Amino acid sequence: MNIKLKKWITACISIGIIAFVSGYFVWNKPHADIKDAESIAITAVDLYKNFKSDPAKADALLLNKIVVVAGNISSVSINQNNQKVIFLKTSTEGAFVNCTMEEHINNFKTGDDISLKGKCSGYISGDADMGLPGDVFLIRCYLAKSDHKQ
Amino acid sequence: MRITHILPIITVMAVCANAANSQVYFTKNGSISFFSKASMEDIKADNNQVISIINIQSGEIRFSVLNNAFHFPKAMMEEHFNSDYIESDKFPTSTFKGNIADINKVDVSKNATYSLVAQGDLSIHGISKPVTTVAMFTVNDGQIEGTAVFKILLKDYDIKIPSLVINNIAEKIEITVRCIYGKK
Repeated sequence: MNIKLKKWITACISIGIIAFVSGYFVWNKPHADIKDAESIAITAVDLYKNFKSDPAKADALLLNKIVVVAGNISSVSINQNNQKVIFLKTSTEGAFVNCTMEEHINNFKTGDDISLKGKCSGYISGDADMGLPGDVFLIRCYLAKSDHKQ
Repeated sequence: MRITHILPIITVMAVCANAANSQVYFTKNGSISFFSKASMEDIKADNNQVISIINIQSGEIRFSVLNNAFHFPKAMMEEHFNSDYIESDKFPTSTFKGNIADINKVDVSKNATYSLVAQGDLSIHGISKPVTTVAMFTVNDGQIEGTAVFKILLKDYDIKIPSLVINNIAEKIEITVRCIYGKK
């Protein structure tokens, strides 16, 4: 086989391998890191007010952003995926900042103050006809570092 | 009209409002997942941030879910789902608004399971289509667990799949709903 052709074949195979490997890594890349990501600090009361009063502005500022939300726990429950859900009080009764925990935390109960870091996935307006206020949602939440209890 | 005349009316109204409220059950962390069998890799995602509300007197039932909160095993799938398929910037929520036939069969004071028909409009990707499905309701110590499994066609909701990946995404998606409702 002539040397030129050999070089061509080697080059093509190399490019093929590189393309396959990089494609594989892109396809299998991990989810974006939340724990150490840059974040916006806000209180649960303000976060809810933002979405309630001006949803378009709140979307631009906060939607899909990583936030650290400080608030007071109204209740704690467990979802069907066995994750803890922490409901933070807002200024509207029955409306919460609804936080699904990624990490397992204990030691927190109704009435405690807490800061949670997670991704703000937006606001669901609830149902006015049936008298159910909506929530602002945070997903993939972690305890914000300063709040770790000893 | 004297106050003594108005008082009974107010009392009746308050009682009625309270009775109406006590018929309402809700959840703010219900679950919706979907699954599609495909040649290269099965596609599945779940969302545990579903708001759903049900009136066990009138049979009205509603669901709302944020599209960008569907969690996929792979980050890449999640990105494609949000940007190319469901277009969650343009259509942030998916909803179902409907009714359950024969809801009055459900007795919340006794633990039992009922199989009922739910019918309504499913809105996804800005398109609303009628959907009918059998739903199971289980009363368990005052809570109601509702589950349903049904299939939808992506083309009904104008969700376009690029021809390059058409073999990797089934056109029929199976949706599973599971909510545990508490009294409002």
